[in-house]
Parts: sequence; C-alpha cells; structure tokens
Amino acid sequence: MSEAYVHDRETALVSDELGAYDRALDGAIAVAALNFVLGLATLVGALGPETSGVALTDVMLAVSAAGVGGVGLVAACAVLNVVEIPSRRIRGLGVGLVGGVILLTVFSTVPGVDMQTLMGVVLLFDGLAVGFAGIASRAGLVDTEPNASAGALAGLLFGAIGFVLGIALNGIVFGGTLPVVVVGTGLAVMLAAATVLPREDLGSTLPVALVVSLLGLVVASSVVDPGWSSIPAEPMNGGLTGSVVVSLFVMLGSLLAGWAAAKSRARYGARGRQYGSFLVIYLNAAMTVVVMVSIVAFVTVRGLDYTVHGFTIGALSGLVVLSPFLVAALAYARRPAGAADWHGGVRETVRVLPLAVVGAVAALLVSLVVRGEPFVHQFTYTIMENRQERTLETALTVTPELTVGTLVVATPSVVLFAYFFRKYGSLAGVGRTFDRQPTVQRALGGSVAATVVLAVVLLLGGSQPFGLGLGGTLGFGAVVITSAAACVLSLVAVSGLLAGNGSRARRARHNAQFVKVGLFGALGLLAGAVVLQPTTGTTPSIAGLDLLPASAILATVAGLSVAALATMARRATGTSDAEQRLTRRLLAEEIRLGLAGATGFVVLLAGHVATTDAPFSVAGLTLSDGGTLSWPMVLFSSIPLGAEPGGILPAVVGTVWIVVGASLFAIPLGVGAAVFLTEYAERGRFTALVEITTNALWSTPSVVFGLFGAAFLLPRLGDTPSLMAAMITLGFMLLPLVLITAREAIKSVPNEYRDASAALGVNKWETVRSVVLPAAVPGVITGVILGVGRIAGETAPLILVLGVGDAGQPVDVLGGFRLMASPPFVYNEALLEASKALPKQVWAVIAAGVSGSPSKGWSTALLLLTVVLSFYLIGILTRRHFRRKLDYE
Amino acid sequence: MGDSLIRTVRRSIDRFTRATWALVVGTVSHILGSLVTLPCRVGQWLVALPGRIGAGLIGLPGRIWRWLVGARRVFVGTDPTPGEALVGLSSFVTIVGVGYTFLGPNELVVYPLVGFMLTVTVGWWTHQARVAKILTAVATVGTVLTVGFITYFLFQSAWPAVEAHGLALAALPQAPNGAVRWFFWLDAVLPVTGGETAWDPRSGVVSLLPAIWATVLVTIIAGLVAAPLGLAGALFIAEIASESVREIVKPAVEILAGIPSIVYGFIGFQVLNGFVQDAFLDAGASFFIAGAVVGLMALPTVVSVSEDALSSVPDSMSDGAIAMGATEWQTMKSISIPAAFSGISAAVILGLGRAIGETMAVAAIMSAGTGFARPLYDVFDQGVTLTSRIATSYGSASAGTIDVLFVAGVMLFVIVAAISVLAQYIERRMERKLTGER
Repeated sequence: MSEAYVHDRETALVSDELGAYDRALDGAIAVAALNFVLGLATLVGALGPETSGVALTDVMLAVSAAGVGGVGLVAACAVLNVVEIPSRRIRGLGVGLVGGVILLTVFSTVPGVDMQTLMGVVLLFDGLAVGFAGIASRAGLVDTEPNASAGALAGLLFGAIGFVLGIALNGIVFGGTLPVVVVGTGLAVMLAAATVLPREDLGSTLPVALVVSLLGLVVASSVVDPGWSSIPAEPMNGGLTGSVVVSLFVMLGSLLAGWAAAKSRARYGARGRQYGSFLVIYLNAAMTVVVMVSIVAFVTVRGLDYTVHGFTIGALSGLVVLSPFLVAALAYARRPAGAADWHGGVRETVRVLPLAVVGAVAALLVSLVVRGEPFVHQFTYTIMENRQERTLETALTVTPELTVGTLVVATPSVVLFAYFFRKYGSLAGVGRTFDRQPTVQRALGGSVAATVVLAVVLLLGGSQPFGLGLGGTLGFGAVVITSAAACVLSLVAVSGLLAGNGSRARRARHNAQFVKVGLFGALGLLAGAVVLQPTTGTTPSIAGLDLLPASAILATVAGLSVAALATMARRATGTSDAEQRLTRRLLAEEIRLGLAGATGFVVLLAGHVATTDAPFSVAGLTLSDGGTLSWPMVLFSSIPLGAEPGGILPAVVGTVWIVVGASLFAIPLGVGAAVFLTEYAERGRFTALVEITTNALWSTPSVVFGLFGAAFLLPRLGDTPSLMAAMITLGFMLLPLVLITAREAIKSVPNEYRDASAALGVNKWETVRSVVLPAAVPGVITGVILGVGRIAGETAPLILVLGVGDAGQPVDVLGGFRLMASPPFVYNEALLEASKALPKQVWAVIAAGVSGSPSKGWSTALLLLTVVLSFYLIGILTRRHFRRKLDYE
Repeated sequence: MGDSLIRTVRRSIDRFTRATWALVVGTVSHILGSLVTLPCRVGQWLVALPGRIGAGLIGLPGRIWRWLVGARRVFVGTDPTPGEALVGLSSFVTIVGVGYTFLGPNELVVYPLVGFMLTVTVGWWTHQARVAKILTAVATVGTVLTVGFITYFLFQSAWPAVEAHGLALAALPQAPNGAVRWFFWLDAVLPVTGGETAWDPRSGVVSLLPAIWATVLVTIIAGLVAAPLGLAGALFIAEIASESVREIVKPAVEILAGIPSIVYGFIGFQVLNGFVQDAFLDAGASFFIAGAVVGLMALPTVVSVSEDALSSVPDSMSDGAIAMGATEWQTMKSISIPAAFSGISAAVILGLGRAIGETMAVAAIMSAGTGFARPLYDVFDQGVTLTSRIATSYGSASAGTIDVLFVAGVMLFVIVAAISVLAQYIERRMERKLTGER
C-alpha cells in the first residue's frame, strides 16, 4: 500500500466519546491479553495452576506492580507530553489493564482461590462482557454499524472450534459416554449457525460468549485440575494432563474473547473486523519476536557460566580489544545531530552514550594498572556430571599485567586498518610531485617483490640453499636495509608535514605525495621484511634492540604523528571559502592515511612477534606470543574428565577453517557465474535453466549435500573423512546462495550505469570491473555474510564427511603445507585429516545420551549461536547501512 | 419482529446455499472438465512424442554446433588476435583437461590445473577482458556441473541398493500379534519384513517405509504450525507494520532462520522432551515436539517468501480498494491475499520442503523407533525420518546399508527439488499475471 494512506490508521484510532460500553470492552481486551499471558506461563510451567494463598497473592502483586509500573510510566510520559498517545483505545487499554490487575490481586487474597480459579473467573468475565456488548448493540443501546452476518469465514472457524470443543467436553464432562462424532458435529453445527445466521453484532459475540463462559466454568470449577489426565481410547504414547488442558483452554478463550471484544469495541462492520484481526496479527508478530528472543536468552543463560569459567584478561589486552569499539563509538557519535527540539536532546545523549561507556571502561582498566591490584569477580554454579550435580567455583579476573598477546593485538588492528583504509580515498594528484616520483615508486615496489622472492627461495631451500649461507648474509642484509629504509620513509612522511614554508595546512597539502609515498612505501617494505626475517634464521639487532620491531614501532609513531599534525592543521583551517574546504577534505584524507598506516604497522609488529616467537617490550609494555588472555572454554584443548571444564579449541579452529575454505571455494565461483549469467550470457533458456536449478539446489536438504560429498569427494580425497571434504561440501551448499544474491545485486545495478560507461567508449569487461561490480558489492557482501552464517552452523553434512577428529589438538593447517617434487606438488596433511567442529561438538553431546555433559553442550551451543548470529547481525547491519546510503544518495 | 427475523433467516440461508452451491458446482465442473480432457491431452502428448524425439534427434547436431559456436565465442571471440586465440585455446584445452583428470585419473589433475592457472595469469596481463569472460564462463559451467554431479552420483550410489533389495525397501513391518496392519490395501502389494521392526540391517531388514511415514507426519505438523503463523507474520510485515517496527520484526524472523538447527535440536533434546513427558504423559521424544520445532524452523521461509509475494502486488490495486472506502483489513482480505494467493501457496510449499529436509533437529529430538507410529496418527510416538535415518545410521553403517541410505537421499533430493521447481513455477505464473505479459 502506498505510504500516503498510512495516516488514515492513526486518525481511525481516535474516537471522541468514551462511554461505559467502550470502557468495559477496553477492560475486557486488556484482561484477555493478561489472561493469555498467564495461560502461556502456565503452559510452559512458569506458574502452577494450583498456586494459591500467599504464593498466588505474591504472583499477582508482582504482575500488578509490573502492569501499574508500565502503564504508569507511559501515562506519566503522556501527561508530560514527552510521548504522544492520541489513540483513546490505547489509553482505554492501559486503564483497563491497571483496573483489571488490581481487581484480580484483590480477588487472589480470597481464601481458597487458586490460579486456575482466577483464570477461569477472568474468562467468565470476558465472556459476559462480550455477550452483553452484543446484546446491547442488538437492542440499539449503543450506536453501531454491524453487517447482516458475521461471515462465512467466522462461521467456519466457529464450526471447527465447536467440533474440537464438543469432543473435549464429551471427554471431560460426560466421561466419553456419548458418541464422539455426534457431540462434536452437533456443537459445530450449532455454533456455526449461531455465528452465521444472526446479525453481525450477535453472531460474533454470542457464540464467543457461550464458548468462553463454558471454558471459564470448566476451568474455574476445577472440573479439570492438575491431577486430571486423559489417555485416548486406543493406547497412544501420550495423553493430556490437566495443567495443559487448563492453559490451552485459557489461551483459546482469551484469544476468542479478545477478538470479539475488539470487534465490538470498534462497532462491528468493516472497522470492527479490522480491529479484531489486527489484534490477532499483532499478537502473532509479538509472539514471533518473543520466541526468538527467548531462545537466544535461554541458551545464553544455560551456557554462560560454563563458557566464561576461568576467564582472565590483562588490562592492556582489554584496552587493545576496546580500541575498535572506541572507533565505532566515535563514528556513531559523529553522526549528524537532529533538530534542536526536546527529542534532539535525547538523541544527542544517546549518540554520545557509547563513547562515554567506552571511556568509563577504559578508565577502569587504567585504574587497575595504576593500583596494581587485579579485579576478581567470584561466583559458583552447578553442572551435571555423570548424572551427579557438582558445584564449581570460579572467577572472572582482570589482571593489571601490561603484556598483550599477538592475536589480541592483530585482530583489532586488522579491523581498524581495514576500516581506515576503506575510509581513505585517494591523494592522487594532490600537491607537487617530487622529482622522479614514478621511479621511486617503481623501485619500492620492485624491492618489496625482491624481498618476497628471496623469502620464498629461503622458505623452499632452507636458510642455506645449495650450501650457500644466503640467509645469514643476503637475507640479513635485506632485513637490515628494508627496516632502515622503512624508518627513513616514515620519517619522510612526517617531515612532509613539517618542512616547507607557509601555514601547516599549506605544507601538508603541498607535500601530500611525500606523506603518501612515505607511509605506503614503509608499509610495503616492512611487510616484506616481516615475511623475510623468519626464513633467514637471523635476528638483526642493535644494542639488544631488535631492528625490525623497533622500526615498526618508530613507523607507528610516525603514522600517529602524521595523523596528529594533519588534525592540528585541519583545526587551524577555516571553512569560509571553497579552497579552504577543499584543503580540509584533503587533510582529512591525510589523517585517515596516517591512522591506517599506524594500525598497519601494529599489525606487522604482531606478525613479526608471531612468526619469530620473540617477545618485544617497549616502555614497560610487552607484546608476546603467549599473551594474558586466558579463556579455558575457547582457548584450551580438551581437558580430561575431572579437571576444570572446557576445552573446545579444536572445534573452534575446525569451524574457522571450514568456513574459510568453503568461502574461498564458493565466493569466486558464485560471483563469477553471476557475472557471466547477468552480463555476458543472453537471457534465454540456458539462464532460466540455471536459475531454476540453483534455486532447487538452494533448498536441497543439507544431509543430501553430505551424501554427495561422501560419494563424490571422499574417493577423490584419500577415502577418509577430512577437513578438505567438509570445506568443499559446505562450499557446494554456499554456492547457490552466493550465486542467487550476487545475481540479484548485479541485476539491480541500473542500466544507466552500463550505458554511461559504454558511451565513454569503455569495453564490456572494464565496465563490469569498474562500474557494475563496485555498485553490486554491498548486495554481494550481505548475501555472502548471511550464507556463511548459515553454513557455519550446518551439522548434517559434517557428520558424513568431516570424521571424528582429535579433541586434544587443533588442526594445524598453516603449518601443514609441504612441498614435494612429485604431483600433487603441494600437500597438506592437516587438510586431509578429520577435525572437530562446533556444531558436531553439540551433536556429540546429544549422541552420548545420558552420559554426555549437558553443561558443555549448552556452552558449545552458546558459542555456536554467538558465531552464527554475529554473522547474521553483521549481514543485517551491512544491508541496512548500504540501503540507507542508497536511499539518501 | 417475528416476521423480520424469519425473513432474515430465510435470506441468510438462501444466500448461503446459493454461494455454497456455486462453489461446489464450480469445483466439480472444473475437476470433471480436466478429467474429461485428460485422456485427450495424454493422447496428444503420446502422439506428439515420437515426433518430438525425432525433432530432438534431428536438431541435436545443430544444437551441439550452436554450443560449440557459443564456446568459441566465449573462449576466443569472433575476431581474435593471435595472442587472444592462443590464450583462449590454451585455457580451453587445460580446463577440459582439469575436468577429465578430476573425474578420471585423479592424481594427474595437478598438471592441467597448473597449466590453466599459468594461462590465466599470463592472460590476465595481456588480454584481461578475454580472460575475465573465460573465467566467469568456467565458473558458470562449474556451477551447472555441480548440479549434474549431485544428481548423477546420488543415483549412482543408490542404484546398488535398489537392485539388491527392490521392493523390500518399502516392506511393511508386522504388528505385535503377527498381522500386517494399517496400510489397508498396501499390504497386498508390498512384501512384509517378517518381524515388528523395519530397520535391522544386520538381518537384512532395510525398509524405508516407516521413515517416509515419519517424514510425512513431521511435515504435516510443521505445516500446521508454519502456514498460519507464517501468513500472519507476512501480512504484518508486508502490510501492517510501520517502517520502524518492520526494522525490528524482519531481522527477528531472519535470526530465527539463522539459529542453527543443531541448537534447536539441543533445546528440544534437553528441555522440550522433558516438558512433553510432564505435560503430555509421553514416554519421551515425540513427533509432536519434533514437528513443532521443525515448524518453527520453517516459519521464516514461509514468512519471507509470502512477504515477497504480498509486496509484489502492485500498490495501485490496494490503493484502488482504499480509495473505494475499504478498510485496510478488507483490502488485505479481498485484494492482497487473493492476488498473492499463488505466491503464498508457493511459500507454504517451500516451507514444507524445508521441513522435509530438516535433519539435525529431528535427529536430536527423536533418534529411536524402527517401526510405524502406533496407531499411525499417534503424534506422541517417536520414529526416524528419512533425514535422521541418514544422519544417525551413516556412521555405523556397512557398505550395503550406506547404499540404502543413498536411496533415502535420492528420495529427499527428488522430492525437495520437485517442490522447489513447483514453487518457482507458481511464483512465475503469479508474476506474469500481476505484471502482464511483457
């Protein structure tokens, strides 16, 4: 529907007069909703239908406190005009809810009243209210506009309800003495007739009143109580218990009463039907969200204690991990502010809130370091082990250590580098080009390539190939020279901002090429050196300080200085004329370049420490391979029984590799095929066929993919289940999704783009590469992320093709590569071994039956859920981000 | 008063009868009509068949020629320079070599692969546009071949079991008192396992019939859960919700789809099985719980596909209804849902396909049961579905049993593929109807 008509809804909800009729029906709807929730709580066992006395009063007090509090806050906001609630119906519902819960709480103090009676009485009240509403309308006491009949749809619905109720009542009230079909059909016909034949106001209220009051009587009179049970005549494996019947009756009755009351409240007719059905549809949507949230929350609650058992982190590691959040909070806070009204103030507070939180956490971590005392939060929890309950004691600890692990440094730095590098556009053609700039750039590229070639030679032939001490001489020299050159280059970048005349901004703009070549050159050279150094078997150092990491630190400082100087220059630049604004934009580019450089150097530093295993300290801060993050559940391999819980590192590593392998297999293939089908192939039978088959492939059950992998891949990969087979099998699963989403994304690029490019004389491939693909990238990325999320949790194919794997040792894929002189030349043992994976680990707990450890299962399920849902969350957020951008462009 | 009541009743009955009558007559005549024309249509098809086969055979060389021309256009283009032709030919030869060696002498696959990579790397510098086109074409052919391979290898692996067991794959287990039960006339047609169990590979009993029935049962329950809730959810998202509410509900539904099936299964195994024991006096696992959980998992499919269908109804149609003074609900009921009806049914069908193929949740909730549910409709019994039969038996199965599992896999593959194709056909027809032939 067009948006233009949406306003209609708001006005439709406002009605001027509010009589007793309306008040009573609003109250009926409100308590019906409340009763539905109570019935649901009884069904899932949160409340017992036999709860009575003080316990019941307590429950009802809590419910009424919640109701009064919720409605009260909304009402207060409405009175203060903070939120607008123009709809009288919503006001009426609020009043009805408050009145209802208070009355029920009072009623619950009556001796002998239990939960069941309470719910039954509410049903009775609802039934009576609906019935009176119908009669009042028929008698012309209120002004309504009913149709001639409630309609065949409602008639069918009530016929079905009557049939089921007839059978149920036959079993409950008469003990099954009458023939089932007769009672069922009789009641069905009666109810259907009573619905269809009279005018709508009676037809849609009297049957409801009848049914709901009947249900209320059955529930309130304890004909069915929790001790009651029914087993069908022909022995089935189950039957119905009283508490289930009671809660189902209550839920059904509340739903019917709510629907009919809503219909009556909106004066029947077209509007009445709309209110009634919308109530049900809204309820359904709310239930969907509630189910989703409760599943996630349930798994979290069950698994969290075990997952975080023994979690310890150093303060510096915490600060490093915090850095991407700092940047994200900054980016959030920098969003354009809203209008300067009251809402604007709230919005601004919300905008800076994340930044404040990051600052608070950082300050707390720093205070730990200053005080030198660890922060310890101790707690205990119980697990089931061999069907025995066992209490475990553990603690969350933050130590004041100033050591940080390579992985902890590398991950946030890579994220930040990617972020800044993506934000950085280009500095091409800015300022003056210095003499022989192309030559210098080419020479830098050449030397990086030469370093990498040398590294490959040394890697293949050992550090002394053909008996020549190349590693000790040539390699050593190369490392020393590249490190020194990187130092010089980074200093050149800084000096570009300092040297020359004129204002700082003018210098920065004038010497932009120095900054660019300096930082990028240093990054390239240092990357080459980091690759080269471990293959040489030497560590060049000056006065005990390793040369390579020292130059990386120096370059990091240089990158930060570039950013700082450019920021200062930018602050000093006004915004009065176009020239100044241009300068400001160019300086912003330089700031991002500096930050990208700094984070890149940190990544290289971490890479150096990781490859050489030599910790590096500067100014009391240590970067080492071990680090200070200890997380037994995720970072330890399996721990034998009886010891501390935890240890699923092999599964985590296995899942990571499977996802990486599947993506490497499926993404190029899928995107390539999408490009061909959309850009090159003529639309015809072939493309239609491919479309149909890919869609069919997408809905093919995952276990069938597993069978295919077992029949097709395993014989070709050494006849044993292996990591490689799992990667390719899941790659096959990912392929159709990537293909479909990539095609959609490429198709949605407007044809004007292609035409404009073609009009400039650009050939087809250039157009695809530089116009179509960049425009389609957001869609492709979103599809890929969602698809990867789906396969990360896939279990069934893994059962067939992954094998069992070693619980004590994660697969070592990177270290498993071997080069050979005979085919297949490259060989990786680890890829052809069985492995663990997160989803299979959960399945293992289930397959172990009663001897499995449920706590470990919950914890693994929580980790799996976290991994998968992060993919989904990132995918959904990316999509929203890009869609907004498209909307506003 | 009395008169008017009688008149109202009479009018209502009158109208109701007439509407029902029209509906019945319409349906019956439609069915009869198609029944009458069916022999004619079959005959037509049969008569035309030899001609069509002949035409296909005659056209085959032409088609092959067209394919070759197409391949030539992709690999070398219409007017190639010598270098371009070299790159194209070299990559063609090497990629065909890769395909051949991968399927045949597996250990030699490296040589053509390295050749192809070299060609492509060199070609990327010299003739980028050509190489890009070749690469994308190779990716397309690879994707199509995947589908072909899946079909071929599944059928090939399943065939030995069909040969070895034949109809015994659908043998009926006996009831405790020795009689064959339930399947009214089927027991006259199908063999009998000779015992109460239908799955005992060691004694050669490998009937898949109970698993098929279990799949049907789970799918029915799942459909009962997913179809109405899914339709209501789709209506909410497509027609009712405001922009900001949609931004919450839609991701929530997507996340519901994203929760891995093993997590659903674990919750079912740990919590719901206990719940059903307390609340429904059940012995443990049950079709009821498995079906409900699978229905929840199929819900997002139903919601998102029917939401697409509802959103594809042109705004002008519903705007017209609103302009006539209809309420939103009337518009939905009388315009949007009927117009999108085929799309919604496609959504439900796809949801059922998802339910049929769901493996881990079912396997985690019910892992035992070797016969039919007793009685057949007993939703509190437990049994193994086709998917969970594969997942739970594969690890410990002998070679002969694995072939039987492949038969189950082929069934799933064929059914779900047919469902997908059917749903796509319905969707396409609806799209054509709504947008008009263009």
